[in-house]
Amino acid sequence: MIHCLLIKISNNKRGLPVRSYRTLTADEVTIGRGVECTIHLADPRIAMHHAVIKRLADGQPYLVAVNGELETDGAILQTIALTHGKDIMVGPYQIKVEPAPPDVSLSLSLELVNHLPDDFQDIKARTHEPLKGAASFKRRLSMWMAVVIALIFLALPLAQNLIPQLKAAMAELPLGFDRVWSPGHISNAHLHFGSQCANCHQKLTHKVTDQACITCHRDTTPHIANTQLQKLAFNKVNRLSDGVRCAECHREHKAPRALARQDNATCVKCHGDIKSIDPKTKLPNIHDFNLDHPGFKLTFSTGTKAKDIERVPQTDTARLVEKSGLKFPHSQHFGKVQGPNGIWDVREMSCTNCHHQEGKEMRFKAVSFNRDCLTCHASQLDVGPAKAVIHLPHGLEQNVINTLKVQAPKQVTHYAEMLKSDGCSYCHEITDTKKDDALPWRISPLHISQDWFSKAHFNHASHRTQQCQSCHQVEHSESSADVAMPDRKSCLRCHSGNNPKPKRIASGCMSCHDFHSSHTAKGADQVSSTAEK
Amino acid sequence: MQRSNIFDYKKYRYFKIAVAIILIAITAYLIFEPTIGHYGGSWLGYILGSLSAALVLWMTWYGVRKRRYRGSGATQGWLSAHIYLGTALTVIVTLHSGFQFGLNIHTFAYFLLLVVVISGFFGNYTYMIYPRQMTENMGEDNLDGLLLRIADADKLARQIALTMPDNINNTVARACSETCIGIDLLEQLRGYQPNCPTALAVEQLTLMGDNLSAELRKPYRELYSIMVRRQSLVKRVRQDLMYRARLGFWLYFHVPFTIALLVAMTAHIVAVFFYW
Repeated sequence: MIHCLLIKISNNKRGLPVRSYRTLTADEVTIGRGVECTIHLADPRIAMHHAVIKRLADGQPYLVAVNGELETDGAILQTIALTHGKDIMVGPYQIKVEPAPPDVSLSLSLELVNHLPDDFQDIKARTHEPLKGAASFKRRLSMWMAVVIALIFLALPLAQNLIPQLKAAMAELPLGFDRVWSPGHISNAHLHFGSQCANCHQKLTHKVTDQACITCHRDTTPHIANTQLQKLAFNKVNRLSDGVRCAECHREHKAPRALARQDNATCVKCHGDIKSIDPKTKLPNIHDFNLDHPGFKLTFSTGTKAKDIERVPQTDTARLVEKSGLKFPHSQHFGKVQGPNGIWDVREMSCTNCHHQEGKEMRFKAVSFNRDCLTCHASQLDVGPAKAVIHLPHGLEQNVINTLKVQAPKQVTHYAEMLKSDGCSYCHEITDTKKDDALPWRISPLHISQDWFSKAHFNHASHRTQQCQSCHQVEHSESSADVAMPDRKSCLRCHSGNNPKPKRIASGCMSCHDFHSSHTAKGADQVSSTAEK
Repeated sequence: MQRSNIFDYKKYRYFKIAVAIILIAITAYLIFEPTIGHYGGSWLGYILGSLSAALVLWMTWYGVRKRRYRGSGATQGWLSAHIYLGTALTVIVTLHSGFQFGLNIHTFAYFLLLVVVISGFFGNYTYMIYPRQMTENMGEDNLDGLLLRIADADKLARQIALTMPDNINNTVARACSETCIGIDLLEQLRGYQPNCPTALAVEQLTLMGDNLSAELRKPYRELYSIMVRRQSLVKRVRQDLMYRARLGFWLYFHVPFTIALLVAMTAHIVAVFFYW
């Protein structure tokens, strides 16, 4: 049996503690939320049957947990001896073992220590403010992003340019800080040095200068051979333009597009009104191959030197005569022709029997007597009666006359005249010599034009699907004076100008012309070398 | 008569201007194609770029303008123009780029602009949709009113649960003391909390009611209905928080990325003119 004095401590309206006393006598004092409990604690944190006070086998009172938890000195225990001074937490209540008066065996004080919070304030405290700290987060994020972007994309590239020591140090590295400024891929040709921007962009706020290009491209020729005119045309500086630089046509950072511009706009900028560049020029204004491109001029070789050329418009038919020094009727060398072995020796001849292609662009080797003529023609001339035939070698006229002098000294003049009228003159033009000349006549020097369009380039390989005769009509040519070069109209059958036309290919300036060597007769060298053969 | 909103402000004035700008820009882009392809450095590219830079600066100024009570024009008009011209800006900048993208400051600035514009679109969407839904959700209540009603429900539920078995009492007590609203950003944006103590409590109470004695049945039913009401109140508070979070969340991107864009745009322009 337990006689227990229960001291209930509560607070009055002023907040001062008030003690109320009650004596309990029972075998077991039950504590819980249930109304049947001896000590009824109406608090949701207390179990229905939380604990019980009873004497255990040793006869001493104990507080034993039933469905709730008991805590003393920070430890949760199942059974706690109710010895003097013991302090136990039963849910939110504190139970203390007080000194017992003589008439009871146990004295306990009970106090609600942990009050239930105010529901409204509690739920409000647990309701979080939406996007708390958003303003400071946005401020910090803005600042960090601004700093990082300014550092990577502005400060470091600028520092690399403005601090010479840093620039020198960065030049050793594969990439510079200014790589982030690159607006696009660099062309393959420039890739090996293009990762260092300063190689081309030599001065800040200045456009890439021609000097930067010429550092490597030393042998690139100017557009106009006349230096003064070149400067006048290309270094025209005004408020909107600082002249025509290499970079105007060679646009970098556009890979995989071609580095060099293929359009006509830059060409037409000057050639559309060429008088504005050079008032004395004889060149016509050109905007489009299809519209106002003039007829072609053909380059005739007039001598053995590179400069010995004459440019004749195709419209000037009177002057359109090739003075090659040879007599060669194409008509007799085309189609079915009789060979050297009589009427039964019929041979089918085509252009490629004599004109041999060379190189990727299918240019043609100069026709060679030894390689091309000897297939059908004899390598020597025979003169004199059948019993005493004199074999005259093909070669310099001096050698021929010398051979005659050795083999028929008395008939040199006779045979020389024969050769002049029929032998050598069968293929060669013969010119009379002056009186003091050692030879009675001479073979006219050969001026075979090899590069007819010396200011343009023509790729035979691109036209290999066409028949030769579709451009070069030589089947009926009886004379080597005939020129069988196609004219502009002939080109316009398949080509158009800047814009494509039905069944005609768009062909800009760059299709035929080379900007850098357009004013130098590139073919002249070849002419001279051909003539010597 | 209902006042015009930001979209049909002055009979769609800025919508018409934006459409005109877009059409002119696209037409110019189609007609004047440089022979080496479109890029920012062509004359058309410079025009589109200058226009874009001016628009970016002007639209950033809106952020300053809207915080001022004085200034030219109605703020509503400014916002209308901000939205429509911002949309047009995206098209103009894309044309300015000539669709040439790479790993560089230029494309990075473009990316930042897209983030700003897309976050702006989202913000626009939220202001079109959520205010109405917020009103529908809250009815005539406000947030504190709802929280007071939850607190009342808590008090009542706890009172009834005192007479209930421990498992029911504990469930109710846990639901009342542990339910939190809008714990983190993700939950605020979702408007839903997985394993919400109140929802769990309602779920568990459904099962716990089976074995109750006859006299506890009535208070149990009362308790259950209080908890269901509490669940719906908590849900409404969560929804309200969600709307407010979503209404403000896009500014996490819109504002800081605008600042970043201004810096990147400066770097872009410096880069272009320093390395001509």
